[in-house]
Amino acid sequence: MIQGLNGINKAFESKARLGIMSVLMVNESVDFSTLKSLLSLTDGNLASHTRSLEELGYIQCEKRFIGRKPNTTFSVTQAGSEAFKAHLQALEDFLKGSTEQ
Amino acid sequence: MENNEAINTLNEIKDMMAKSSRFQSISGTSIILIGLYASIVSAGAWLLWGNHDTISWLPACCSDISINSPWRTKMAIFVALLLLLVSFGTVCLFSFFKIKRKQNAFHFDSPMRRCLFNFCVPMVAGGLLCLAMLIQGHYGLTSSFMLIFYGLALINCHHYTTSDIAVLGYGELILGLIDCFLVRHAILFWFLGFGMWHVLFGLYYTLKNKKR
Repeated sequence: MIQGLNGINKAFESKARLGIMSVLMVNESVDFSTLKSLLSLTDGNLASHTRSLEELGYIQCEKRFIGRKPNTTFSVTQAGSEAFKAHLQALEDFLKGSTEQ
Repeated sequence: MENNEAINTLNEIKDMMAKSSRFQSISGTSIILIGLYASIVSAGAWLLWGNHDTISWLPACCSDISINSPWRTKMAIFVALLLLLVSFGTVCLFSFFKIKRKQNAFHFDSPMRRCLFNFCVPMVAGGLLCLAMLIQGHYGLTSSFMLIFYGLALINCHHYTTSDIAVLGYGELILGLIDCFLVRHAILFWFLGFGMWHVLFGLYYTLKNKKR
């Protein structure tokens, strides 16, 4: 694993969370089932990852009802967007650094 | 090892971003096919109704067609609409099968919706404009308006699908603009834009995707 590097964010270490953030960065808002099928995750898995990202303040979720069916949509927050960009920058810097050596 | 991991992560992020926001199932074969339809129809129209009186068979010399009777006008509009419908149907059908093959299920997701919407806005606007011009009897620029609006529609939707589609759009736009300034070459530009350019682009697109 890539560890002990500047700017590498522990919150984005898992593949699922990277996926969630990537999808939300380019879409205004995405609902639970779309996210689930895009990332091929199970309900519980996705729910726990989104909850932890939400607790960190990186994404926000909006719950509402369409008819009687509950519908949850997610979107990225300002803080989440900045954190993710910093994470990507850190990855790129790491790559640049290793090619220069 | 760590290096590869970082590269993989970045690639996965890029793929996921594209997959979730862009409609990626346009088939190159369908683009070639609609180019062939348009080529055949425009060549047929020129052979049937073209002005061949000048004897020269060089298309550049006399590449307009005479739609000078109400029957011919109706026929031309009918054929053009039919061609549009068949072409649109072909592209949709090929995309449908491509999606089915890739993921075994078809649902009308949001990248597809956005792509279609952004394509249709300039197309409908251009279509209505052409209709209004035909009703009012201004035939001269119909072909250029068709090419220009089609080009703009493609450029408009390239953010929501493969960005190569913009190349096709700019080509149509340029041909349409040249067509505006040259009189009596409508069918030639129609043939080049809707026919040949589609075939060429389709071939390029298919080969490029095969390489991957």
